[in-house]
Amino acid sequence: MADTTHHSLGAQTERTAAGADKPHSAGEANTTVRYRGGGFRTHSIFWVGPVVFVVLIAVWEWGTQTGFISNLTLPKPSDVLGTFGELWRTGTLFEHLIPSLTRFAVGSAMGCLAGVIIGVMIGLFSHVRAGLVPVVAAIFPIPKIALLPLFIIWFGIGEGSKYALIALGTFTPMVVATYGAVDNVDRTLIRMGQSFSLSWASIVRKIVLPGAMPGIFSGLRVSLAIGIILLVAAEMLGARRGIGAYILEAGSLYDLERLFAGVIILSALGVVVNFVLGLIEDRVLRWRS
Amino acid sequence: MTKLTRRQTLGLIGGTAALAATPLIAKPAYANTSIKVGALRFTSHAASFVAFERGYFADAGLDVEFEFFQAAQPMALAIASGDADYAVTAISGALVSLAERGATKVIGGALSEEQGIDGQKIVASNAAFADGVTSPAALAGRTWAVTQAGSSFHYMGSKISGAEGVEVEFQPLQGVGNIIGALRSDQVDAWSIVPHIAKPLAAGGAINIIGDVADYLPNYQVTTVFTSTANAAEERAKTEAFLAAFARGAADFNAALVDKTEGEDGAEEMVQLIHNYVYTDRELDAARPAIVNGAMRINEGAALNTTSVEDQLNWFKSEGLVDQAASMENLVDTSYVDTM
Repeated sequence: MADTTHHSLGAQTERTAAGADKPHSAGEANTTVRYRGGGFRTHSIFWVGPVVFVVLIAVWEWGTQTGFISNLTLPKPSDVLGTFGELWRTGTLFEHLIPSLTRFAVGSAMGCLAGVIIGVMIGLFSHVRAGLVPVVAAIFPIPKIALLPLFIIWFGIGEGSKYALIALGTFTPMVVATYGAVDNVDRTLIRMGQSFSLSWASIVRKIVLPGAMPGIFSGLRVSLAIGIILLVAAEMLGARRGIGAYILEAGSLYDLERLFAGVIILSALGVVVNFVLGLIEDRVLRWRS
Repeated sequence: MTKLTRRQTLGLIGGTAALAATPLIAKPAYANTSIKVGALRFTSHAASFVAFERGYFADAGLDVEFEFFQAAQPMALAIASGDADYAVTAISGALVSLAERGATKVIGGALSEEQGIDGQKIVASNAAFADGVTSPAALAGRTWAVTQAGSSFHYMGSKISGAEGVEVEFQPLQGVGNIIGALRSDQVDAWSIVPHIAKPLAAGGAINIIGDVADYLPNYQVTTVFTSTANAAEERAKTEAFLAAFARGAADFNAALVDKTEGEDGAEEMVQLIHNYVYTDRELDAARPAIVNGAMRINEGAALNTTSVEDQLNWFKSEGLVDQAASMENLVDTSYVDTM
């Protein structure tokens, strides 16, 4: 109730009230009323993120050093760093990273490219949509890892089965994202193109594909993250080299330092992929700004 | 009605979380102590099944509940996390790492290789066999299937190829099922496995037996009895009771199926008992040969072959699979059983 009166009586009363509470400000003429709008707005504070990380790792290091966190629960961050340094010095890092990057690049390139092509076709042609949407819906929920033994029979225990697993895993989300993006292209733009008598191919090339690009890029972010996850699954069978094989080996030996070092490499890979994708996106979607 | 303020609710949630995080305090061993025993559905785990079925655990005042696993490694983790009290399994890299971290201890021996008794077999795929891999000496440059790095299959493959002076390439395939599939389709060349899996597959023409593990690793301590460090150090009565009952089960098993001193009836009774746990998806008649074939000696009195265990530990170290500082003292508690 007090609040309401305050507002309805206006600035004059407020000033008097303030003057009554704090006698020393009574002499000031034209006290400015504080602007009470604003707030609830996010702005970037660049230093908070790193500080949170540093504090978390410091607490973790302190806990493992003092034995508050047992070495059965978590490894020491400094030991993980040491393991990482060892990987770097001995060159083992690249021995594992290069096969994994190759598998990731080849597998996800095949999956994403096929996904975009099929997705655009579903978006453009009703017959393809009617035929393939149920198939994609049927393939999507299959855990691809369960098919790994089958892929080994089909494509061999070497690189073929690994490419196939990553390709299939990235393909389905890419198809769904792409045809969704094509569906969401502004219809009025297409009508405009038609009223300017643009040919069908021209509309697809100049309106539909550029319009679908933002959706395709967000699909790519999801698909490539799935690709990185599947890297570990792909290297479960018949791989001695690779980040996934390294993580699995560390897990089966209960070697927490190596396990964490491997997981950090995968995280870093995710960050790098996302960053590169951001750069490409900025370039391809220049028309937006 | 009691109303909780937001602050009280938060306090309550925090309190519950703190309580849940408090480590459980181990219970002292009394008569009728309930314990959880980890096991695989393999004939090699029969000693525990016999001790349970014939009431040896009950005689020792133990109320046993079995926890079944698919592989040795999760069993080691279950012991470390306190989800199982005792288990029998092969010495794996994970077990050594967990022992180094003060979580697990080997307290006795179980399955052993013994020359003269049908033990684990070295097998080759059909394609490799046709290509001349008819003995382990011809394994140079071939692939050898393992479940995971640091598994017993890795140890055997490394020791066998080392003894023959040949290099093999190890293929991690995670599970026994995957390995059999890969062997059948000639994706890998060789493997070593317990006889009750090797023999039926070889009889079916899927793989070829090319040698015996016992020729390369005589007296190999294949599986060991292990428990958490807390049980070994603080629950002496309970641990001794478990080992004594386990040893009685092992003695019955050896007499019936390995030394065959109990006659046909004794053997048949044993097969029926084991069939309650192993190959439960098959008819008794179909399961009988597999169970009889799988009978390898379980050490008398759960005695432990420390020479073999030390050899395995040294191998893990030489392969860089475990910490170089790993020691027998951290891995084994020799105060419970006789050592060889």
